Amino acid sequence: MQLHLEGSNAMDAPREKVYALLTDPSFVARTLPDAEDVRVLDASSLEGRIKLRIAVVSSTLKVKLTIAKTAPPSRATLVAEGAGSGSSMKIASVFELSEGTSTTMHWSADAEITGVMAGIGSTLLKGFATKKVAEIFTGITSAVEAAV
Amino acid sequence: MERLFQASVDEVSRLLGLERAELALLEDADAAADDLLVSEYEKYVERKYNPEVPGVLRRRGLMGVPIREKYGGRGARQLVESLFLERMGQTGMGVITFADVHLCLGSLAVQDWGTEEQRERYLPRAAKGDVIFAYGLTEPEAGSDPASMKTSYVKDEGGYRLTGSKYLISNGSIATDMIAFARPADGKGVTAFLVDTKKKGFAVDMRLEEKIGLFTSDTSMISLDDVHVDREDVLGEEGKGLSVAYSALLNGRIGIGSGCLGVMEDCLNQVKERTTSRVQHGKEIARHQLIQKHVAFIESSLEACRWLDYRAAVKKDEYEKDPKDLALRSDADRLSAVAKYMSSRHAFESADRAVQCFGGFGYSIMSPVAKHFLDSRVARIYEGTDEIMELKIASSVLGREFEAYR
Repeated sequence: MQLHLEGSNAMDAPREKVYALLTDPSFVARTLPDAEDVRVLDASSLEGRIKLRIAVVSSTLKVKLTIAKTAPPSRATLVAEGAGSGSSMKIASVFELSEGTSTTMHWSADAEITGVMAGIGSTLLKGFATKKVAEIFTGITSAVEAAV
Repeated sequence: MERLFQASVDEVSRLLGLERAELALLEDADAAADDLLVSEYEKYVERKYNPEVPGVLRRRGLMGVPIREKYGGRGARQLVESLFLERMGQTGMGVITFADVHLCLGSLAVQDWGTEEQRERYLPRAAKGDVIFAYGLTEPEAGSDPASMKTSYVKDEGGYRLTGSKYLISNGSIATDMIAFARPADGKGVTAFLVDTKKKGFAVDMRLEEKIGLFTSDTSMISLDDVHVDREDVLGEEGKGLSVAYSALLNGRIGIGSGCLGVMEDCLNQVKERTTSRVQHGKEIARHQLIQKHVAFIESSLEACRWLDYRAAVKKDEYEKDPKDLALRSDADRLSAVAKYMSSRHAFESADRAVQCFGGFGYSIMSPVAKHFLDSRVARIYEGTDEIMELKIASSVLGREFEAYR
C-alpha cells in the first residue's frame, strides 16, 4: 500500500542551523517519538526500534534511517526502512528549507506499507500517519528551537 | 470530497439540482467525516463510545442540519440531509445513530410538532450542540408495538409526573433532553413529552455495552421515577403522541437508509483496495471471478439503494411543502420504509461480502469492514424491524384493511 503525505512547518531558527540539526543522526535520534534502543551508525544513518500504536494495538518495527544531504543548506532526503510485528514499511521523504523571518520546512513523504498494518486500508492509515507526522514535526520543531 | 460521495453529489446536483449553500454543507459533511475517521476507528477497536462525535459535528456546523435557519440551523431539505448522512455513514453506523437520533428523531420532531415557544427554546441550542436529543420510545416490553408501552403519567399541579423504563435508548446517557412517550395511568392515548435529563427522578440505569456492535454509539436504559414535566413541555397534542412518534420515525428511516448507503460505499472502497493489492495464487485476488461476484453485488446494491433513498427524500420534501396532502405523506411513509428496508439489508449483506473479501483479517475488528458487518445489523432492527417494514410496505399495496399489525 502506498501513501503520500506532505506539509510544511515553520521554525524560529536560521536555515543553516536547522539544516545542520536535521541532517545530524544524533539530533534526529533524540527527536523520534516512541523510539527505543536508538543507535547512531555513522554520520548519515541510525537504527532503532519504533513503537507504532494503532488504537489498542502496538507494533514494534526495527527501523534504519538514512540521511542524504542532497543540496545543503536547503534540501535533504531521509529514507526509513523497517519491519516487525507482521508489517514492513519504507518511507522516502524529502525536505526543503526556505529562508524568511523564520525557516520554513516544506516536506513530502512517500510510504510503502505491507503486511498487517496495510490491512486497515489507506484511508485510515493516512489518518493515523497524518496524526503521527504532526506529532513528529511538533517534536522536531521544539527540539530545533530549543537547540539554537 | 471522498470519491464515491463526490459522485453522488455530482449526480444529484445534475439530476435534481443542489444550491451553493447545500454544496457547502456537503463539503462540511465531508470534512467532518475525515475528522472522525481516526477516533471512530480507535474507539471502535476499544469498544468504547466515541465522545468526539458531537464536538466534531458542532465545530463543522452540522448539529442543526435540518433545523430551519431562523432557529440557527442549516435549513437542509431531506434530500440534502440524506446526502449528509450518506457521507457520515462511511465512518460507520455509530455516527449515524447519534446524528439520526439527534436530528431526525429529536430536532425534527420539535420542529414539526413543537409550539413556537418550544421551537425557540430548543432548536437554537440543538443547532449549536448545547442540546442533544434522545428519543425514548422503546421499552423492555414495547418494541415494534409502541402502543403497548407501560410508561405512564399522572397530572399534577403545573404539569405531569412520568414513571417507567425506556430501553435501548441511543444517546440515552449523553442527551440533555429526551422525547419521552407515556400513556395516562388511568386511560388511553400516548403523549410525547420533552424531558430535561437533569430532572429529579431521571436516571441512567445502565449503559448497554454488551452489544454485537455499534460500540461507538451510546445505548442506555433509562428509568423515569415520578419525573415532573411542565405543562408547556408536552410535544404535540396530549393523547396524540403516537402521531409524533410515527412522523419522527418517517424522518429517521430515510436517515438510516442514507447511512446504509455510506456503509456500502465504504465497503466498496475497502474491498476495491484490498482485493486489488492482496496477492494469492500468484495474482491479485480481484482477478478471481468469485471475488468479482462480491464486488458486483456491493456496487449493484449501492446503485439501487441510492436511488430508493433519494426518491424517498424527494417525496418527503414534496410532502413538507404541502403538509395537508395526506396522500403525499402516505407515499413518503411508504418510500421511507422501502428505502430503509432495502438499504439496511443490502448494507448488511455488502458488509458480509466485504468481510469475505478480506479473508481472515476481515474477521478482526481491526479490519475496516468488520464494524460495518457488526453495526449494519442493527439497521434491520431499530426504527422499525425488517418485519414491520415488510408489513407496512405490503399494506401500502394491499390497502389499510390488510394491515397485519392491527
